[in-house]
Amino acid sequence: MDFYIGLAQIIGVHTLLGLSAYCVLLTGQVSLAQAGFFAIGAYVAGMLTVLAQWPLIPALVAAAIVAGAMACAVGFPALRVKGLMLVVATIAFGEAVRLFFFNFTYQLERGELRIGPHGGEGFRQIRYFPEHGWSTLDVMLFIWAVVVMVMALLWWMDRSRAGAVLRAVGDDELAAQSTGINITAVKVSAMTIGGVIAGLGGGLFAHYTTHIEHVQFGVVLATFAIAYPILGGLSSVFGTLMAVVFIQGFLIEGLRFMGDWRNLLFGGLIVLAMNMRPHGLLDAGTLLAVRRLIFRGKERANA
Amino acid sequence: MDLLDLIDTVQSVADGVLFGATYALLGIGFTLIFGVMYKINLAYAAASIGAAYASLLILAGVKAQPILVFLAAAGCGGIIGWLIYLVGFRFIPLANPLATLMSTVGLLLLIDEIIVHTTAGVPLNYPALFADVIIRAGPFNLRGDLLFVFALGCLCMVVLLLMLYRTQLGLATRAVSQQPVAAQLCGISITAVNALTFIVTGFLGGIAGAMIGAAIGMLSPLLSLPLTVKGLIVTVIGGLGSIPGAIIAGLVVGGLENVFQFFRGVSERDLYVMLLLFAFLVFRPRGLFASPHVGD
Repeated sequence: MDFYIGLAQIIGVHTLLGLSAYCVLLTGQVSLAQAGFFAIGAYVAGMLTVLAQWPLIPALVAAAIVAGAMACAVGFPALRVKGLMLVVATIAFGEAVRLFFFNFTYQLERGELRIGPHGGEGFRQIRYFPEHGWSTLDVMLFIWAVVVMVMALLWWMDRSRAGAVLRAVGDDELAAQSTGINITAVKVSAMTIGGVIAGLGGGLFAHYTTHIEHVQFGVVLATFAIAYPILGGLSSVFGTLMAVVFIQGFLIEGLRFMGDWRNLLFGGLIVLAMNMRPHGLLDAGTLLAVRRLIFRGKERANA
Repeated sequence: MDLLDLIDTVQSVADGVLFGATYALLGIGFTLIFGVMYKINLAYAAASIGAAYASLLILAGVKAQPILVFLAAAGCGGIIGWLIYLVGFRFIPLANPLATLMSTVGLLLLIDEIIVHTTAGVPLNYPALFADVIIRAGPFNLRGDLLFVFALGCLCMVVLLLMLYRTQLGLATRAVSQQPVAAQLCGISITAVNALTFIVTGFLGGIAGAMIGAAIGMLSPLLSLPLTVKGLIVTVIGGLGSIPGAIIAGLVVGGLENVFQFFRGVSERDLYVMLLLFAFLVFRPRGLFASPHVGD
């Protein structure tokens, strides 16, 4: 049972990571910096609960704010460029954050132990959950409460004017600009929202793994972050959730019995999925069909 | 700084510039594909390393001359490049940039895993040419194998430029990159040109992979991600779609990287390379030599 609870924790945190990239992708920008914001959130939240002895929720909020502020600061210079340039700029930012934490040491004496981030060895002893007697199930429920909250907010945003503005910028910048939308402001806000969500996810990640180090936040994590929304499709937040369950639940855990071949299949299946469904697993057409299926009864009743 | 430090600094810059030829070749590959298709092929560096591995596997039985290994790497690179085009680009609508980006990420992971799977993750030794030759110039030593790598890189660039500017194929490639619709109206098949671009960049990538193997002395699948990042940085610093830009940026990045390593140590080296890129993005976002119509 613990295995499945652990898997649910992983899926929850990766959903947050995917949703952070989803926000940015809605405006048509590909950002590989999400792993960097995730790392910032993880280190900030970890340092606040371990070194400053803060309670968890203020630490998570602070991590989200710091990551969001960083995203906003990065957004201004990075969003001057588009397409490939932005991909490279954001990869470089993510790698710079990773290399910063690789060289970052800040330790305090606590009894006989020295605690805090220690360069290449990483940051150990983030023991907030065990120290406060949270069970694995409690942690899982807490993570999913955050995920549900974020998804609900994003779903609501998608249906509001703000969502329409984001999608308008993503579909056609020129047309959006000519209707009076300030595209730089829209893109930077999307980047900031993405940073906040990634920071939250990173804070949760640091606390359930209890040990973080720089290699966890490399280019691979960044590509996973954009892989979820692209594979799932940008039509709805549920596409991202579906892709996370597909990748983490099926491709990574479900295929474990295949041993070495699992990793081979992993890349191959992504390529296959993109060939078969270039607009994502849950694209606009499928979504419409599902909606018709669910609401058919209601429409008849109205008619 | 006394004289001895100065000599050491110049020496490390020289080594770095020689090694930078490999970055330049990778940068050319990214820039050519971008110039023709406006697409990023993130699997390119992984394919280069894969081609170098394939050349070792093909010639594992026979005791081949290192030069043969290099030729085999180029051939394998061409084949892998064509396969990447077929699997990752041919059947995906080109109007959707995210789909091809994702498919090349999938291919990057796939190639890495194929390498790990066939070699059990053990790094392989790679043959070098002229490894025992050391040229002395005053107080400086130039390693023969690095000089050979540099010369080979320059040769490839010259051949590529001749191909682009002196042959029918090059004319077609440039036409497609400038005006795809007009090129199609003149009877140029875009699909064929795209496939050929992938094969040509695959050749270059194979040679770059072999050069990296020869310069480092071994091959490991761990090389592919850092090389992808370095190749992309070189492409952006040089200016998207600009071949001379990629060459110069490759050599500059190679040289500066060694300077950073000399002064700040290996763990901080790449941090400064990233900062260099940010400096370019802020002060010169179009790179050294961007062509005016490739801005966005």
